[in-house]
Amino acid sequence: MKPLLRIAALIWREDRRAFLRGLALSVLVLAMGAGLLGLSGWFITAAAAAGLAGTGVLFDVFRPSAVIRFLALGRTAARYGERLTTHDATLRALARLRVRLLQSTLRKPYRALERLRANAFLNRLTADIDALDGVALRLLLPGLAGGIAILLAAVIVAWLVHPAIGALIGIGYLAVPTAIFAIGLRRAERPSRQAEAGLQALRSRLIDLIVAREDLAVYGQLTAARTRVEEAAERHDTARQHLQRVERRAGLGLDLVSAVMVSLALGAGILLVQAGSITAAQAAIGTFVALALAEAVAPVQRALSDAGRMIQAARRVGPEVEDNTVPEGVPAAPSALPLKVNGLTYRNGADLFEPVSLHVAAGETVALTGPSGSGKSTVLLCVAGCLRASSGTVRLGDADLTPAALGQAVVMVPQRHALIGGTIAENLRLADAGASDDMLWDVLRAVALDGVVAGKGGLRARLGFRGAGLSGGEGRRLALARALLRRPDVLLLDEPTEGLDSVTAAAVMAGLRAALPRAAILMAAHRAAEIDAADRQHVLRPARTVR
Amino acid sequence: MASSAAPARLPRHPAERIGGLLSLVSALLWLGQAAFIAWALADLLEGSGARALWAVPGVFGIALLRAGLKYAADARLAVAADAVVSGLRARIVSGEAATTAPSVAGGPGAVAALACEKLDTLRPYLMRYRRARLRTSVLPLLILAIAFWHSWAVGVVLLMGGPLIPVFMALIGWAAQEASEKQMVEVGALNDLLVDRLAALPDMHLIGAGDRIVDSFAEASDSLRTRTMAVLRVAFLSSTVLELFSALGVAMVAVWVGFSLLGVIEWGAWGATLTPFAGIYLLLLAPEYFQPLRDLSAAWHDRAAGEAVLDELALWREEERPALMTSGTAPVRPATPLSIRLAGLVLRRDAREIAYPDLDIAAGDRIAITGPSGAGKTSLLRALAGLERAERGAIEVDGAPLDGTTADDWRARIGWMPQAPHFLNRSLRYNIGFGAPLGDDVLEAAGVAPVLETLPRGDLTPLGERGAGLSGGEARRVTLARALQAAPDLLLADEPTADLDDGTAAAVIDGLMRFAEAGGTLVVASHDPRLIARMDRRVEVPS
Repeated sequence: MKPLLRIAALIWREDRRAFLRGLALSVLVLAMGAGLLGLSGWFITAAAAAGLAGTGVLFDVFRPSAVIRFLALGRTAARYGERLTTHDATLRALARLRVRLLQSTLRKPYRALERLRANAFLNRLTADIDALDGVALRLLLPGLAGGIAILLAAVIVAWLVHPAIGALIGIGYLAVPTAIFAIGLRRAERPSRQAEAGLQALRSRLIDLIVAREDLAVYGQLTAARTRVEEAAERHDTARQHLQRVERRAGLGLDLVSAVMVSLALGAGILLVQAGSITAAQAAIGTFVALALAEAVAPVQRALSDAGRMIQAARRVGPEVEDNTVPEGVPAAPSALPLKVNGLTYRNGADLFEPVSLHVAAGETVALTGPSGSGKSTVLLCVAGCLRASSGTVRLGDADLTPAALGQAVVMVPQRHALIGGTIAENLRLADAGASDDMLWDVLRAVALDGVVAGKGGLRARLGFRGAGLSGGEGRRLALARALLRRPDVLLLDEPTEGLDSVTAAAVMAGLRAALPRAAILMAAHRAAEIDAADRQHVLRPARTVR
Repeated sequence: MASSAAPARLPRHPAERIGGLLSLVSALLWLGQAAFIAWALADLLEGSGARALWAVPGVFGIALLRAGLKYAADARLAVAADAVVSGLRARIVSGEAATTAPSVAGGPGAVAALACEKLDTLRPYLMRYRRARLRTSVLPLLILAIAFWHSWAVGVVLLMGGPLIPVFMALIGWAAQEASEKQMVEVGALNDLLVDRLAALPDMHLIGAGDRIVDSFAEASDSLRTRTMAVLRVAFLSSTVLELFSALGVAMVAVWVGFSLLGVIEWGAWGATLTPFAGIYLLLLAPEYFQPLRDLSAAWHDRAAGEAVLDELALWREEERPALMTSGTAPVRPATPLSIRLAGLVLRRDAREIAYPDLDIAAGDRIAITGPSGAGKTSLLRALAGLERAERGAIEVDGAPLDGTTADDWRARIGWMPQAPHFLNRSLRYNIGFGAPLGDDVLEAAGVAPVLETLPRGDLTPLGERGAGLSGGEARRVTLARALQAAPDLLLADEPTADLDDGTAAAVIDGLMRFAEAGGTLVVASHDPRLIARMDRRVEVPS
């Protein structure tokens, strides 16, 4: 419950005034509803009494009937305003929550980022935040508004009718539904957790099945994968049925509360009339208000069905969104500083390689070579600031690389490129939103991809998700072109020409250098085309410690 | 289109009917409960009030019965809704498992969203709409009859308020459906967009463009909010109109009844004077006259959301996707030496046709398929694995055409190394053996053994999307191990040495050659001269 309250406070703070306005309007809606029914009941009964007594002419009919009309119209208007206000405020707060969550994820260590399974993460981001939309709308506002309205109604009934009936209504409608909610929450916790887990498993397995189905088909595993999806669906369904049962029982409990309250209000009213303490018209007020307040406690049932999911979501999302984040740098004019690496080591249990010291001057290309697994990619990631070196320094000119300077001056293209669904231009403009079409063509030309792009219909040609529609080599070159748009001082390349034939590979290496004449280029290399394009070679030696 | 086709698209369940009837009876019982309340208050006014207390057990008893019936109705309707939703979900799962072609309905995220959350939005439609329609067809008419019996004036008030409601509702509901259809499409697209962008997050971080990804996502999510609010504004407007009618109707009834009882008004009650009982009773019934109409209006939005999902489902179902070549029976791996023959084979890739040279492959052959990037090497390997159908010409395997009847047996004898492997969200061990125990020789031959030593949990390490956590070379070795695991007769490998350094490439080539030397047939698509040199034959795919 605590994480939920923290998130509730966070959501509330995003738009405090709108939520307060929404709360006031919700109370007004409920109070006017109870007022409308209570006043109408009193009016009719009192009118009948006056009619029977023959004193009808003296009865003031105009004020009550005007108030009845006012309540009828006012309630409707308040309801519309309340709904619009609270929904808009909630959606706004959630949109901001989503972006915060994405930002905080972006600031995670690179290794964690890499291992993040996009599916699982997507589930969390969409499902959790969707679940949280009910925090204000279905939990906080109805709970507060219902409580206030019931108290208000109880006080008014106690004043207009009789303290006993007021106390009855207040205690009965506040205490019992609260108890039902508390018990229901405990009962719903397990099935709601299981239903959610089942749904996530269902989604993740279904996505696995769809994404990997070619491989699965060749290996004859498609049926097994399908069975696993069906298992998850089954688990979800069972837990969900359990949850619905809890929710239905809570609904039954609430109906019984209102049955008891109406009967008690009526019975107590009758007894008091017989005792001569109140009039029949006053008894009518109590009964009609008791009928009307059933509306104030009805949201408990709906809240129960969502509360479990909300609590889990709040538990996961909460710690993520409270950190403040720093923005990344933007592309800046090249400063032509040399890259200086001194005594860099990386220890993962044992040292991976012997300490690396190298300088790459502006305009120079250095090939980092060495046997497989010697840690070429690791060196690049350390220089890029994605991994923390165990010892040694990385400097640009004479300055240490700060996180802010990193994204600005140092750019790395890893072995496995990632493209996004959208046009070729959109893929490129991720690196520089303001790049003109001419600039895009320039970088495409630099990686010898201009012909391919023109053949596909130009910059507006669409790629499928993850860049589907380009071959491996084409995708690799598009990722290189994208990196060029950042105009980095230091370009780190991890085997940049893999998947290209040697003529294209040589053209790409020449193009990269021509596009960034002043950049220091450090690349992990093993192909002749790459090593030939370098000014120098630095051989990475595996650490001599025995594993 | 949406409404007329609804019954056929949404299966019915017997429990739904029972649930609807129970819920109707529960609503009808209010007429009795209200009569008891009115009678008690009238007795207090007119008589001694001595008998009034007898009404209390009546009110309580009927309320109890109503609550019980409502509970039972909800339970039956939930059973019906569960059955329908699970049935539709099962159909999506089996449909997606029957083809390897992507759906026009969207990427994996969109299909998963359809099968998970969107199908669940059918539940309120199933549980509320038809029940509300049933109540609407009975309860208001009955209350109208009772009102006319006591007073034509009250009857006229209700009659005027009632029929206007469906007119407004139809107009507004129509607008809401259009808006909510748009919104549903947007939700799926947002999820797909998010999966796609998240997969690119590490790379974007390396080029310092992570904020662009966040910004573009923020834009998409803001546009979703705007659209959602547009839907809600219409939805709230329609329920506001209904509430307005209902509130005005109740207020007018209350005022007329009050005036009549006072004797100020002497028309409207068939010449007689209105009794206090009738007056209070009519006031209690008036809100219930409008309630079913309001329920129907609320359910109307469930229906609009449900119909939008059904439309999407129909789009998914109507699409003709080439079925995966399979007979659905357990494969029998042939024991005879394998043979492949390509004759006049033409494959289609998007708008382009790729013609392949004729080719005969016998057991033990080592074939290199070469050609410039994008020439169609991968398509040929896919066709050989039975994942793609020939546009023209034929592929014969083991002396028979490769089709649905032969594909399963054929696949049982091949190992498959795609260039971009898709690892499942499971352990490394499962990703290699699919549940079968791993042989040390296979791990050794594929060079996976040293990889396992560096992983925190060895072969139980969970793999992420695209094998995240493994380097390119490691992932390649894992796919080699997977291909060798079932001791295949034929190995199809797509650029097996791409992205690998010399040492790893040599290790992978050694693994492949050992497989060939043990009698295996090898078909590799490559432009790596080191690998091509080790093959017997080279087949050039012209660009």
